[in-house]
Amino acid sequence: MSQAASSSSTSQSSSQAPEVYSGPRLEAVNLSKRYEDGALALDKVSFKVNPGEIYAMLGGNGAGKTTTINLFLNFIEPSEGEARIDGIVAHKDPLAAKQKLAYVSENVMLYPNFTAIQNLDFFAKLGGKTDYSKDDYRAVLLRVGLQEAAHNKRLKGFSKGMRQKCGIAIAILKDAPAILLDEPTSGLDPSAGREFIRLLTDLRSEGKAILMSTHDIFRAKEVADTIGIMNQGVLVMERAAADLKGENLEKLYVQYMAGHAGSEQNVETIN
Amino acid sequence: MFKIILDKELKEIIGTTKFAITFGVCAVLILLAFYVGARSYQSSMEGYNASVTENMRQMEGVTDWANIDHRIILPPQPLAALVSGVSNDIGRTVNMDVRGELRPEGSRFNEDPIFAVFRFLDLEFIFAIVLSLFAILFGYDAINGEKERGTLALSFANSIPRDQYILGKIVGSFLALIIPLMIPILIGCLMLPLLGVPMNADSWLRLGMVILTGTLYFGVFLTLSVFISTLTQRSSTSFLILVVAWIFAVLIIPRTSVLAAGRIVDVASVDEIDFEKGKYSAQLFNENMAAMQSWTQQNYQSDHRLMMEGMQAFRTEQQDLQDENMRLFVEQLNEQRANSSNLRTKVAFSLARISPTASFSLAASDLAFTSMELRASYQEAASAYQQEFAAFMRSKNVDFGGEAYVGHGAPVVVEEPEPIDTRELPLFAYEQPPASEAINDSLPDLGLLFMFNAFFFAGAFVRFNRYDVR
Amino acid sequence: MLKVLIEKELKSILQSPKFVATFGVCSLLILLSVFIGINEYRSSVAQYETASNWVDQQIAEATSFRNLPTKVYRKPDPMQIFVSGVNFDIGRLSEISVEQDIKLEQSAYSDDPIFAVFRSIDFTFIVQVVLSLFAIVFTYDAINGERESGTLKLVLSNPIARGQYLFAKLAGSWLGLTIPLLIPILIGLLLLIVYGIPMTATSWLKVGTLIGVSILYFTFFIALGLLVSALTRNSAVSFLLLLVVWITLVLIVPRGAVMAAGQLVAVPTVAEIESQKDRYRADAQGELRTTRNLRYQSMMEPAQGLAESDRRAFYAANIDLYTEESNRLQAEMEIVIEQNNRRVNENLRNAKAEQERLAFLLSRVSPASAYQLTAMNLGGTNTSMKNRIEDQMVDYRATYNAYVARKWQQEQDEQAALLAEQRRGGGAAGGYTYAGSGNQAIDSSDMPQFTASQESVAEVIQASILDFGLLAIFTFIAFACAFLAFIRYDVR
Repeated sequence: MSQAASSSSTSQSSSQAPEVYSGPRLEAVNLSKRYEDGALALDKVSFKVNPGEIYAMLGGNGAGKTTTINLFLNFIEPSEGEARIDGIVAHKDPLAAKQKLAYVSENVMLYPNFTAIQNLDFFAKLGGKTDYSKDDYRAVLLRVGLQEAAHNKRLKGFSKGMRQKCGIAIAILKDAPAILLDEPTSGLDPSAGREFIRLLTDLRSEGKAILMSTHDIFRAKEVADTIGIMNQGVLVMERAAADLKGENLEKLYVQYMAGHAGSEQNVETIN
Repeated sequence: MFKIILDKELKEIIGTTKFAITFGVCAVLILLAFYVGARSYQSSMEGYNASVTENMRQMEGVTDWANIDHRIILPPQPLAALVSGVSNDIGRTVNMDVRGELRPEGSRFNEDPIFAVFRFLDLEFIFAIVLSLFAILFGYDAINGEKERGTLALSFANSIPRDQYILGKIVGSFLALIIPLMIPILIGCLMLPLLGVPMNADSWLRLGMVILTGTLYFGVFLTLSVFISTLTQRSSTSFLILVVAWIFAVLIIPRTSVLAAGRIVDVASVDEIDFEKGKYSAQLFNENMAAMQSWTQQNYQSDHRLMMEGMQAFRTEQQDLQDENMRLFVEQLNEQRANSSNLRTKVAFSLARISPTASFSLAASDLAFTSMELRASYQEAASAYQQEFAAFMRSKNVDFGGEAYVGHGAPVVVEEPEPIDTRELPLFAYEQPPASEAINDSLPDLGLLFMFNAFFFAGAFVRFNRYDVR
Repeated sequence: MLKVLIEKELKSILQSPKFVATFGVCSLLILLSVFIGINEYRSSVAQYETASNWVDQQIAEATSFRNLPTKVYRKPDPMQIFVSGVNFDIGRLSEISVEQDIKLEQSAYSDDPIFAVFRSIDFTFIVQVVLSLFAIVFTYDAINGERESGTLKLVLSNPIARGQYLFAKLAGSWLGLTIPLLIPILIGLLLLIVYGIPMTATSWLKVGTLIGVSILYFTFFIALGLLVSALTRNSAVSFLLLLVVWITLVLIVPRGAVMAAGQLVAVPTVAEIESQKDRYRADAQGELRTTRNLRYQSMMEPAQGLAESDRRAFYAANIDLYTEESNRLQAEMEIVIEQNNRRVNENLRNAKAEQERLAFLLSRVSPASAYQLTAMNLGGTNTSMKNRIEDQMVDYRATYNAYVARKWQQEQDEQAALLAEQRRGGGAAGGYTYAGSGNQAIDSSDMPQFTASQESVAEVIQASILDFGLLAIFTFIAFACAFLAFIRYDVR
């Protein structure tokens, strides 16, 4: 990270309330979402993500992972409960909340007619970072593993993995205290996946709070501090990764997905 | 295999909301065009009848054939309401005179400029503009859209020959679009006789040919769209290209080529011609005057009666000579203008035919007999009638030689003379040439449209055989 | 923040093939239209000058004021370069004579119908049809396209108010279209100066206003594009909807409204009008004949029963009196007929105005007609152009006829004096001069000239203010609705 980035982060913190917030970075409190068609997508989910912590939400399609992230971003409003970022309630003051969030979405296309640098420049400015130079962008792109030759190419010809790297670079540039990642590893090849894990641990060591949704049990186990398993809108399990060291996470996952935790037989039948 | 693709294409198009919306819009417009066309034919017919009656009425009570003010009027063309062409721009009334030039006056747009502002919503307009857009809308993503959706790769994971696929695609979408469109068109055609448009076999043939031309024209835009879609990888690109091509073909090329031809071929303006004619006429008049003057000087006779008689005879002789000279001069000038004007028309229309829309419009107006031919034919009919009229007037002993002598003095109170019988006047009946002639005229354009179809079809075919389906 | 958003929109538009296509097409078309317009204008000026010179020459060569008929021509106005309106549809000239009504005849299109086949191409047409279409191509995927590519979520994960975002979209597209409009039209205006087209201050003002109205017009379509894009999830759907709306607004509503008004309000045909006028004239003439005959009989009454020579003497003594009386009656009749003609024309005009009012009222549902109507008002080539010019010609006709009548009287007096002198001098050699060959050309230097009055700036503004306001309202409503729709837009 360049000097410019760190200086702007200090200016940001100085503009905050004088009283330093000491609670969790990201907090879901009884978060529920019922859609207009009556479907309950999220049912009283509560969890916390502290600074320097990676929280991995595991779950199948439609488990409620993306809904949770959308609630933090106020793309949808909760039917009940609150999503808080640094104590700010997302649906009450969305603009303030979003200042503290960086977001990497699944399968982002970005602007196909812009080059990688142009895309970064635009989103960095949107995130309030106006003083980056081209070199900063290049540095970040190299950091996320995008080769120099691609920096000034339009995104039209980029592969899914290359676009994903740009997306992560955008999140890094925003230098927000909390990062939301929606299926960040989908579509990445194994080596890119490893590189991504390295990046995440770097960010954690910088004190970011990271909430990621994923189906990738192995990566979650590798990097997460806390793992939550969701099924049909309910957070069915939440354990510290350290506690799971000896356990077979795959088995646990399949059990919870079936909705019969602890029953070995059911796991068998599903298999 | 071809049948499967054809079947899928038909189902895929007809089942969509996109089709429902566009079809609804087009159906409403087509029916509206037929209805409004029939109504406007009726009202022009009423206007025409009123003018003819009025012309006759004005002559009633006139006692001398020399004093009549006779006009002939061009009756409305039955198909003008569907393909208006230039029928609203050309003069429809000719003031009849036994000699001299005839000039049709009083175009509909001159009388009612309000209709000129936005022009008409006729069948030709709907084909030329709305249906061509409609064709683009359904063809622009024919190939690259399937690729974007991944269905192209999926289809070719089966053993499908490419030529059959593209053939099925084009034929299928053409049939899926044109068959439903025929429904409102046929209903519209049936409405015509019910709404009082006199349709004879000739008019039906013309109308049928107009619809056939329209179908061919629709095909041009459909095959063009498929062709462009095989040339590009992304449907948004092909759409942009097609919109620009459409703007040029429909709106720009026809107009610009006519205006360009106006620049390339110099045609003397009507006023310049009038100026030449006037100058020559004045010259003749002066010569005539001088001749009369010298005649009176040379042939002075003391006998007043003999003097006047001789003068009269000489005057008539001079007058005839002057008329003849003038006629020759005018003929020559008019021919010159007609020649350069024809050349201009040829250049303009050849240029315009780069665009299939121009070919379609020209063919349609040829078929409906609302093209420039209409004016030429009317002018010809009027000249022919002039001969007839002149012969009739001579038979009534009306002399139009020169200025009539205007007597001063007391009105002579005489017995009221018998009023003339206007029924004696030869009737002007305008007959449009048979449909076969119009069809002959439109054949080159039909051929051109067919060529466009074949060309784009072949292009799509060749390109698709090398298309990267991944 | 707004600046960043607008900057990105602009950058994204300027780099897109859409913009390249728009810029290319617009530059080509606008320059072409101005170039063609200038040439058309110049050739109509040449034509106008030939015609008026010919008329002047005829008058100069005329030897008598007796019933000197003439023609007046409509002078071309440089505004026709930008807005041809009905310019080519209505007649170019009218006969000016004692007997005939003023009637504009010989439209450019009836002279050369080839130009009517595909009609003309002017700046207004390009803006009305081409630019509005491009405005839609620019904005149809403004919102839903970003949703589809996932960037909408990414953008809104930043602290950006939605109103700001929408406004940036509007501003970006607006600039992206204004540039392709302004650059070629400014070059076109330079062309006007280079070609030495006589533009008055009012004309410049009109052109300026026209450009302003044009920009407002496509702003509406940008706002409409945003609205539909914010109402739909899928960009293919929004494009289809917009295209249908565009066809309806630009191509169907204006034509449909005029045709509907034509069906709803009956306007008497030319034949009916002529019939009314002629009947009245015939009646008046019949009446005049009867009165004259009665007058003649009563005046000549005393001569009844006199001897042949006395009768001739009485007749010679009274004939001037009768002629005078008869001329007075004739003149009175002409006035009455003229009044009736005016009334009939007035009625026709009222019916037409009624039809027009309805047609324009209906067609103003579409901003495209509001735009065209303002443009034509500004260009002076609107539907009232014919009436306006005919009115001016009617006024001129009155002046002209009065002048000619006065001059004719003067001429007669002079001739009478000349004749008397000749009689005294014992007659000319030979005694015969051929009638009409009084070879002396008349002096027509003080003849009134026809000059069409120019509209004042206030009139120009007044004529366009209604439609201008209407366009502004349309645009505002479309944008407000787009805003409401976008506030509730599901960005996922």
